[in-house]
Amino acid sequence: MNSKKDPALPAKPKNNFSRRGFMRGVGIGSGALGTGLLEKEAAAAPAAAKVVGPGPVPITLEINGKPVHLTVEPRVTLIDALRNHLDITGAKKVCDRATCGACTVIMDGKTVYSCTVLAIDAQGKKIETIESLGTPTKRHPISQAFWDNDAQQCGYCTPGFVMASKGFLEEHPNPTMAEVEHGLGGNICRCGTYMGIRKAVLEAAAAMKKGGKNG
Amino acid sequence: MFEGVEAFYRPTTVREALHLLRKAKGTARIVAGGTGVVPGGDRSVRFLIDITRAGLSYIRKRGGAWTIGATTTMAEIEDSAEMRMLAGGLLASAAAACGSVEIRSMATVGGNMANGSPAADLAPPLLALDAEAAIAGTAARRKMPLADYLAAVCAGKMKNALLVEIVFLEPSAARGGWCFQKFGRTAVDISLVNVAAGLQLDARGRVKWARIALGAVAPLPLRMPAAEALMTGRILDRALLAEAAESVSDTVHPIGDIRASADYRREISRVLTGRALEQCAARAGYSL
Repeated sequence: MNSKKDPALPAKPKNNFSRRGFMRGVGIGSGALGTGLLEKEAAAAPAAAKVVGPGPVPITLEINGKPVHLTVEPRVTLIDALRNHLDITGAKKVCDRATCGACTVIMDGKTVYSCTVLAIDAQGKKIETIESLGTPTKRHPISQAFWDNDAQQCGYCTPGFVMASKGFLEEHPNPTMAEVEHGLGGNICRCGTYMGIRKAVLEAAAAMKKGGKNG
Repeated sequence: MFEGVEAFYRPTTVREALHLLRKAKGTARIVAGGTGVVPGGDRSVRFLIDITRAGLSYIRKRGGAWTIGATTTMAEIEDSAEMRMLAGGLLASAAAACGSVEIRSMATVGGNMANGSPAADLAPPLLALDAEAAIAGTAARRKMPLADYLAAVCAGKMKNALLVEIVFLEPSAARGGWCFQKFGRTAVDISLVNVAAGLQLDARGRVKWARIALGAVAPLPLRMPAAEALMTGRILDRALLAEAAESVSDTVHPIGDIRASADYRREISRVLTGRALEQCAARAGYSL
């Protein structure tokens, strides 16, 4: 799990001892051991079979419009790459088994569970995370609608719900309540704020139609 | 989570993928959408072979036959104008019922079949369409009935083979109707029971043929030949639908688990089959 960050990334204060930093440190060295693989055979095999690994490999992901370079083992999922390697912690890792939706991001315009996508497989795709949506002072219409409708309680599912809502609204700009309910079926809120969320999505749909650009 | 994975391959042809699969001697897994393999995190897996660049994402018609490439996603099937038309949108509606939107963006028809789940939502419609599976293995490519492929997967005999595409003939549309029905704990949960049905009637309302397939009610998704046979040649009415649904519930042998008891699944099989056939009749323009 040793990761190398691209110097082009916004510089992070390095002074603090963070949990994520600690985990990264512990992870170093656990990877690069696997050798003696299919490689030799693959080399003999039809040449085009691209081998990635063993051990960490450098990859480039396009996250929120910016190319980001990092080094991950082939087994690392997109959610782990975002959170543990890039400190992009908006998407949450909760069930880690494609059920809860807290890790939802948008990849090439489609909502996906980032816990089911391998980071190396996300290369060449446009990845949008919650971090791309507005700022605390100038909120995205969906975030604003969530705010206005108390569409969160503990808030842990919220980034996933907001991204799922964005993906949903791009395909259904004029949704009905029933469509919202069905379209967000892949996200779970344990606090049970579904009514607020559904209202927020309907409100966001109206706001985005009026606002046009911001959506 | 995949601690054992050492390398990742991205073959650009089926031949390369097969070559890698054979060399790995059972320690490799084919991965496409990743919605099954990645969260599964099987620790015995040492190599991942990603086939999404092997050119297997397509929906094509050749002659009277449709072919769907193995890495075609649920979302692509659901959104395909052709699939929405074909057999009254039977496949498109099953794809649209397969998990949440986040799953459908990634999950593929090949994964849905090769995973060997008895609850696979595309299995009943494809079985009802008499689909065949095109398999690349040690020998040349071959086609086999999808039912045989699913049985072979279930028996663990497909570990060194690759599902390349699904092939089926366009069914006749005249006085015919199709329907997919799913019943789950929630709209996105795994099916407790899923049913695909189709029938064609003659001008006097007699059943020319009926096709019924169910999932999640046995170790494999199953066609229901007894129920199909008892309908064939008879005038379609409510009594006949009830009889066919009864026959289905006698044929299935579901398990009980945390989601539902075996008895409950059996009862749901009867009810869903009845609903599916009723819809088929309505879509065939026939009033019961």
